Amino acid sequence: MTGSTTSLPVPAAGRALVASAPKGESECVLSMALAGNVFALEAAIVLEILDVVPLTEVPNSSPFIKGLLNVRGKVVPVVDLKVRLGLATQDETTLDSRIVVLSIQLDNEECLVGILADKVFGVMEIDGSTLEEAPSVGIAWRLEFIRSIGKSDQGFIVILDMDRVFSNTDRNGA
Amino acid sequence: MGKTILTVDDSASIRQMVAFTLESAGYSVTTAVDGKDALAKLGSGTADMIITDLNMPNMDGLQLITEVRKLPAHKFSPIVFLTTESEESKKAQAKAAGASGWIVKPFQQEQLLAVVKKFLG
Amino acid sequence: MNAGPSSHADVYLAEAEDLLADMEAGLLDLEGNPRDADQINRVFRALHTIKGSGAVFGFTQVADFTHHVESAFQRARDGEIPVSPGLLEVTLAALDHIRDLLDGKEDRAREKSLLARLATHVPQGGAASSRPDKKAKPPRPEPESPRHWRIRLKLGPQVMAFGTNCLRLLDELRALGDAVIIALPEGIPPLEHMDPVACYMEWDIILTTEQPRSAIEDVFMFVAEDATIGIEPIAYEKDDSKRLGEILVERGDIDLDNLMGALRQQRPVGELLVQAGQVSPEKIVSALVEQSKAREEPKTPMGVDAGHGSLRVQAERLDSLMDQVGELVIAQARLRQLVADSEDLNLRAVAEEIERLSSDLRETTMGIRMVPIGTLFGRFRRVVRDVSRSLGKTVELTMDGEDSELDKTVIERLNDPLVHLVRNCIDHGLETTEERVREGKPEAGRVHLSAAHSGAQVLISITDDGRGMNRSAIRAKAEERGLLAPDAQIPDGDLLAFVFHPGFSTAREVSAVSGRGVGMDVVKRTIDALRGTIEIGSTPGEGTTITLKLPLTLAIIDGLLVRVGKGLYVLPLSTVEECVELSDDARKDQRGCDFLNIRGALVPFLRLRERFKVSTPPDPFQKVVVVSSGTSRVGLVVDQVVGQHQTVIKSLGKLMADVREFSGATILGDGTVALIMDVPRLIEMGQTGADDRRLQSGVDDRHLIAGETR
Repeated sequence: MTGSTTSLPVPAAGRALVASAPKGESECVLSMALAGNVFALEAAIVLEILDVVPLTEVPNSSPFIKGLLNVRGKVVPVVDLKVRLGLATQDETTLDSRIVVLSIQLDNEECLVGILADKVFGVMEIDGSTLEEAPSVGIAWRLEFIRSIGKSDQGFIVILDMDRVFSNTDRNGA
Repeated sequence: MGKTILTVDDSASIRQMVAFTLESAGYSVTTAVDGKDALAKLGSGTADMIITDLNMPNMDGLQLITEVRKLPAHKFSPIVFLTTESEESKKAQAKAAGASGWIVKPFQQEQLLAVVKKFLG
Repeated sequence: MNAGPSSHADVYLAEAEDLLADMEAGLLDLEGNPRDADQINRVFRALHTIKGSGAVFGFTQVADFTHHVESAFQRARDGEIPVSPGLLEVTLAALDHIRDLLDGKEDRAREKSLLARLATHVPQGGAASSRPDKKAKPPRPEPESPRHWRIRLKLGPQVMAFGTNCLRLLDELRALGDAVIIALPEGIPPLEHMDPVACYMEWDIILTTEQPRSAIEDVFMFVAEDATIGIEPIAYEKDDSKRLGEILVERGDIDLDNLMGALRQQRPVGELLVQAGQVSPEKIVSALVEQSKAREEPKTPMGVDAGHGSLRVQAERLDSLMDQVGELVIAQARLRQLVADSEDLNLRAVAEEIERLSSDLRETTMGIRMVPIGTLFGRFRRVVRDVSRSLGKTVELTMDGEDSELDKTVIERLNDPLVHLVRNCIDHGLETTEERVREGKPEAGRVHLSAAHSGAQVLISITDDGRGMNRSAIRAKAEERGLLAPDAQIPDGDLLAFVFHPGFSTAREVSAVSGRGVGMDVVKRTIDALRGTIEIGSTPGEGTTITLKLPLTLAIIDGLLVRVGKGLYVLPLSTVEECVELSDDARKDQRGCDFLNIRGALVPFLRLRERFKVSTPPDPFQKVVVVSSGTSRVGLVVDQVVGQHQTVIKSLGKLMADVREFSGATILGDGTVALIMDVPRLIEMGQTGADDRRLQSGVDDRHLIAGETR
């Protein structure tokens, strides 16, 4: 019922390593498309990538929350990052759409959350020397969620700080 | 063939520690939480040696020793009790009741093994 | 059982916590009856174990400190000193200190002052003993150059009856070095006078060893008291044994005759057993041989903790067991759904079998998690004591039903609300001593805690014999806060229930103990979160009873599956009263709040389709599920009642914390997620609608319902 899975070989222990990786070392990220932008998140927090399946809607929840999903016996909320990041939303699921299940820290507790991605490109190494702080101008979405900006063959990639995206303050997003 | 030791103590931590130490040394260990429990376990199984605390609810170590010595199967079994420095008078009572030896708390694991070896080899 | 040494300390800590609680209970009992020998012994034993085990596991500071308190109680137990209120007071303080020490919190200054206070209750001299932490015996001295010892050993006659194996002693001596052992059977009486289990043998041992004298003495440590043991160094260099013997004879040290006799029969060490059989055909020796052989026979070991006794299990393991049982229940539901369409009878039989097994397993697992509520009640004695002291009231705490069992998670989460309720009832419920005397009541206020099973629920009540709740104050406050129209008639229970509104405190003086206007609403929230209900009954001048109804367990419930639009939802079956069709005469008033006439009672109802903003067309025959929480009822209009469903409750997680209508989620047989409705919350919503309406009209619509439910 949870749909076919494309499992990623992600070591759980990698999380701490990546999170504390000093500038200059290369970083392993999962890149994806959201409303025409390319975003990435540290690969270590990704648990699995699922095809989009019908979700259980939660009446009267915030628009940010798309519904609930059964991931191996756990009830996982699936969220629409586009709402959170303040990107234009076009609510359509395509063949490329995926649900990326992450393990994030929320108020010091480990918790699972799924995010809807328009397309998942894959895991890539980003050369640490190309990583930069987010510029203060010229970005259409919320700056506080950006961890850093890296360069790849395809151009710039915004690496999101997922713990902050889901942090308690202003959780309901735009 | 591994020998079986019955350890009797109302303190779970002591039971666990004694059991761990003895099992690491190759003995089989049975545990009981007080004198009554110990007697029940002796009734249903066997033990080559008994290590018991003195201060326990329901049936204390002294009574246990007295009762065990009445059992034909355990007339000659070594019974060692755990005691503290402050219980000199208890020591004499326990000996009179039929105890074979004692271990003074706090004890190190090797001391425990040394005493057990004394009786079981 | 096979946990490594690192976890011993954890076990000790958990155990010490239990012992402290037990000790606390004992101390509190002693306050009422300071001569109760059982309780003194209980306190002593707890202290004794905390100290003894603490020292073993390296909690030396705990052991050192506890030792002093133990000494005091040992003297109390031996009747040397009385159990005075002062001693109890300082012991309770010491108990807190021990708790802190176990938590890793040190406070040298407090420790010093506690010991000083303790000393005032324990006269000096004759105190129990030496320091507790006498260290392990000193390391053995460096080996000395080999020396010869002559050891004359005459054991006490009862030595074997006390579990000592004489042969083992000799073996131990042999292990120390080169030993020549000579058995002296002279002491053996004629058969007719012989006690078969007595030890009549004597031995001479000539030992050559590098070990010091203390090592030899150690061999005899357990038999020394009843034995005659001579250990003497032999000044001569080692020669052959014959010459040694001759020298001994020449020296004529002691007991010349015996020694001569012994020497005549000297045999090599390795042949002792044989020799014993040869030279001493008497029963005693053969008994020894027999006994030693018997001991080497294989014996079946007893099963570890077989049958009875209890086992300490880490709480996390229980939690994960429950999780796994939950998974199993879900998988089983899935299997049942698949099998329902199958023609395969064998498959159906297996599925049924698995259904039965998983149901049994669920019961058993939930049983393992059950903890008697007495563990919780016990803590209240201290709370009552401390609170009543600080308020200067005398309170008598009684309890019953301590054996009633509840899921351990429920018990843990009940602690804070119950503490609050107990404090409240002492602070606000009970009058001051003067008032009570004036009212002709006994000086001591009574607080009674009780627990009892009632179906799948546990009822916990807190009763006091105080002044009762002040209805006019509550009413005034409710009107002031706009919760109630002036002069509106409402049922008594509903009036009293206003105290659960946030920030609703009628206490005239805010005391340090309670009455800060927070609390009762938090209590209500906690109980709601536990899927329980809370009710108040109060008679002016006679007292107040607060009753909590709680489910036995949190993890798995029986649920009623309903459909609203396309979505499936679960209602806890324990809250469901009945299901009826939504009839035409269901009134709908202009303000959007609906009422249902159920056998003459008006029950407000919520159209869930509207509330959940469902856009699909409604089913032609809508159903109403009437749910209740406490005395309140509300109808929930759904499209379809699907049926019963064993529901494994999953938390919604922090991300969904703002969702109001749902308390959790579960996974259905087909793998989809269904939300579990938060019935108390929905009832609140339904009632608020009704309240709004009543406020508006000033007319009570609900007395009919109330009339029926009481």
